[in-house]
Amino acid sequence: MSETPAAKPPEEPKGPGLCGQFLKDHGIATNRLADSCGVETIEIDGAHLEAAMKLLRGSSEIKLDYLVAVSGVDSADTFDSVYQLWSYTNNNELIIKVRVKKTDVVEGQLPLVPSLSRFWSAANWHERETYDLVGIRYYGHPYLRRILNVWDWDGHPLRRDYKQLVDSLNDKAPGSFR
Amino acid sequence: MATDTEVDLTPRLKTDEMLINMGPQHPATHGVLRLILTLDGEIVRHTEPILGHLHRAQEWQGQNRTWFQYQALIDRVDYLSGMFTSWAMARAAEVVDGCEVPERAEYLRVMVSEMNRITSHLLWLGTYLIDLGAMFGFPFYPFREREKLLELFEEIAGQRMMFNYIRIGGVMRNPKDAWLSKLKKFTEEFPDRVDEYEAIVTENPIFLKRTKGIGILRKELGMDYGITGPSIRASGVDIDLRRTKPYSVYPKLKFDVPVNDRDGDTFDRYIFRIREMRQSNEIIKQCLDMLPQGEISGKKQIAGLRVKAGEGFAAVESPRGTLGCYIISNGSDRAYRIKWRNPSFCNLSILPELLKNHPIADVMAIFGSIDVILPDVDR
Amino acid sequence: MRNGAEILKLGTLTFTWWCIIFGAVWIACYVVGVAIPMLLSSYESDAARITAETCRALTPILSVLVFIPINAMFMVLFERRGLAIFTVRLGPNRVGPDGYLQTAADAVKLLFKEDITPHGADAFMFTLAPIVFFAPSIFGAMPLLAAVTNYHELFQIVNLPTGIFFILAASSVPVVGIVMGGWASNNKYSLVGGLRSAAQAISYEIPLVLSLVTVCLLAGSLDVVEIMKQQAGGILNWNILGGGALRGLDSALALKFSNAAPALQELSAKSFDQVLKTAYSDPAAAALGLAAGQDSMATIASVIAVVVLMACVLIAAGLYMTGACAEINRIPFDLPEAESELVSGYNTEYSGIKFAIFFLAEFTNLFVVASIFVVMFLGGGDCPVPAWLGNMLGGPQMASAINQLLSPLIAIKFVDPPTLFAAIWVILKVYGIVFFAVLVRGTLPRFRIDQLMDFGWKRLIPLSLIVFVLVVFAREFVNVHVGS
Repeated sequence: MSETPAAKPPEEPKGPGLCGQFLKDHGIATNRLADSCGVETIEIDGAHLEAAMKLLRGSSEIKLDYLVAVSGVDSADTFDSVYQLWSYTNNNELIIKVRVKKTDVVEGQLPLVPSLSRFWSAANWHERETYDLVGIRYYGHPYLRRILNVWDWDGHPLRRDYKQLVDSLNDKAPGSFR
Repeated sequence: MATDTEVDLTPRLKTDEMLINMGPQHPATHGVLRLILTLDGEIVRHTEPILGHLHRAQEWQGQNRTWFQYQALIDRVDYLSGMFTSWAMARAAEVVDGCEVPERAEYLRVMVSEMNRITSHLLWLGTYLIDLGAMFGFPFYPFREREKLLELFEEIAGQRMMFNYIRIGGVMRNPKDAWLSKLKKFTEEFPDRVDEYEAIVTENPIFLKRTKGIGILRKELGMDYGITGPSIRASGVDIDLRRTKPYSVYPKLKFDVPVNDRDGDTFDRYIFRIREMRQSNEIIKQCLDMLPQGEISGKKQIAGLRVKAGEGFAAVESPRGTLGCYIISNGSDRAYRIKWRNPSFCNLSILPELLKNHPIADVMAIFGSIDVILPDVDR
Repeated sequence: MRNGAEILKLGTLTFTWWCIIFGAVWIACYVVGVAIPMLLSSYESDAARITAETCRALTPILSVLVFIPINAMFMVLFERRGLAIFTVRLGPNRVGPDGYLQTAADAVKLLFKEDITPHGADAFMFTLAPIVFFAPSIFGAMPLLAAVTNYHELFQIVNLPTGIFFILAASSVPVVGIVMGGWASNNKYSLVGGLRSAAQAISYEIPLVLSLVTVCLLAGSLDVVEIMKQQAGGILNWNILGGGALRGLDSALALKFSNAAPALQELSAKSFDQVLKTAYSDPAAAALGLAAGQDSMATIASVIAVVVLMACVLIAAGLYMTGACAEINRIPFDLPEAESELVSGYNTEYSGIKFAIFFLAEFTNLFVVASIFVVMFLGGGDCPVPAWLGNMLGGPQMASAINQLLSPLIAIKFVDPPTLFAAIWVILKVYGIVFFAVLVRGTLPRFRIDQLMDFGWKRLIPLSLIVFVLVVFAREFVNVHVGS
């Protein structure tokens, strides 16, 4: 099994899409990535995330007011925080990625991404989950605590470098039950 | 949230708040959810849900099992509507892979998943009445019909709950004619059964007293929390992926999606699920009439099943709301990353807001009404 | 009917268990109350006489002690099988022949389970609570024994002139046990359950007592035997139908069907004044006047009073049932043990025999409140068929045939026909009420605690007061219970 992330489709998108253009008009620079299955995908700098989200959510024509999911991805050289945005009223869709380079992450610390949950309650639990499983620290989160694993769990299971614990319930242990 | 049933206990007499642990082993939490309630007398002031007691690392397994193995596992994500979890992943994989799904398979998918929606709502109906304290009696009636559907599932998929029927590229097995006629018979008598439930429950004065005006979910609040499914449609947000982002053969089918015109309470959430069951029944009927002949799978179901490299998000409208699956594939026989967007997980996050200032007796009435399945929350 | 077979099974099960219960209690009472004193009567010593008297005096308590466990065991089974039928299931049908012994097995299991006292619990109170909960259902039911056995000489000893007062006083004690259990368990759910129970019992006791007071007012007595005796003579004399307000109709029908046509003719020929005079004082005459086509203000007034009285007593009966359901914590008033909120309420921490006692007492209480209802409203051991109808259907012949059949048993004093028939009717009626309670349990969800309080204080209590006052006035216009 190869450990490389999705290979990009060859054709690069031409110019910013609907939402990218909208953000550009409001002075937020974005970087368009390859569409993921026909959905506009942009990369944005963590510092602008909150402003961009507020704009996209509040504008009357784009109105991406439905935060479907926040996912964390441990890619080859970055930690991605992926936001799926939909709208309750129209058919707009957008995927926003915030990428933190692994080389920028201080040894022994977690990658930092600003939290949305101050103004978007839907992000709250998703961010907790991503923190728990992928280990992205959302700064500004009111209650960033592990949600699916127990509170004193060691490590972040969906990291590529995560080592499974060897204990009596694990089949790698000599005295395993299995 | 000012409701007329909200109990106003402006503290003339200030007493200590009581911390109470509801669950994880509590007869009414539908699985293992733990709620830490801060009570003022019997009034809930603050709630903290503790999840994860059922965490089975489904996402981790997704990237450590082959596609073919993982297909069989994902029914367990939401064990009451396994068809939808299978379908969500199958759709995501198909979107990424770009493979065609034969039309017959699409019809079969719609059919079995609408059946599954009915079973899920039926089970919800029964257990919800238990949450309201009707320990015996009514709760067993929905199970009578559910049993019939489960038998049909068993016949077509070999399993009553963990179907593994919808596969990447199509469905697993062709139904026999006898199966189709049994299903047709069921759809014909089912509306009468729903009338029967309504006759027992909808007009029941104690039921109305327990549900009307309780746990009102404001539209804006629901949208802020990303609530989907019947819970938000009962609060007047018109979001149903079958219609707003049509997929499969839904555009060809005629059906209503009931949407409320005001902020819904628990009673509305009950009545909208009942209406949805009727609609699902109609959809099954139409599918039975329109079912074409042909292939049932566009991809070979082999152990070395691969999905082309790429990433994509696809969602289906499960009985609880938007059930999404975000897939990153690198072209190998297993996923690079699979992320589930579970409706129960998102819908549960609003619980602390809904419970605020309700008496402890309403905790279960409200919790039950948003129809949360704990395996779906914890994965 | 799809459930026919299941209903038939429940019927045979019920009959078998009734025979077991009846047989056990009957034999125990016979041995202690009749056989031993008879044997001892041949000895002419003081010791023998004292022993015989003691045995006779112990009969009532013995009968209750034998009756309660077996009966509760059966009631649990009855409820489970009954609920199974309502809910399209089969119910317990594995242990013993067709599940007959399910609850016996459950009881054995509970008795042998480990008896756990939770850490931090008040052990003394924790143990005392089930006893306080259970004891009143034994001694509280005592005065009823005299009424349900048709005042058999062995049971006269337990009758009290203020019987119903005593029963009500005793039936309000168990709530102390619940609060004790809830408090002593050192569990928040238990505590809330116990406190809820106290609040609920206090609120619902008022309509309960007021409805019974209404009946006592109608009867002019607190003595359950007296109240039972007044209702003798068929369904039309029962308190639930106005407490003798229909006695006139009854006697009119009796006259009509006993070929006493001349008397009717004579009465209808009476003058208007005479009818008027008798209408207020004698409902029999009023009804006769009505039957004969006489029209007068007096008759109308009397008829209105009869209707009001009947309506009031019916409402009182409903109030009693509601209050009783709340008093014994049954759905829809089972707030103290609300499963979906409080796990199991006051008995969450109980296990083994202590839990068994709670369970036993719960079902015994159901039986006791049903018996009170039967004695106060449904004529106790009275046969619902009026004598005139019974005569037409060949009742006397049947009775004499049965007496003939039982004559050897009567000779050794094993069977006393009036007591036997009274007891059979009581069992039938009480199980009718129990069946109703099961039906309610199979139908209704649970109230919320504040709704429960609202319902009690704002609906039931005013209603019971209104009924009470109406009965006070209506009673003046209708000569209820001749001779009272």
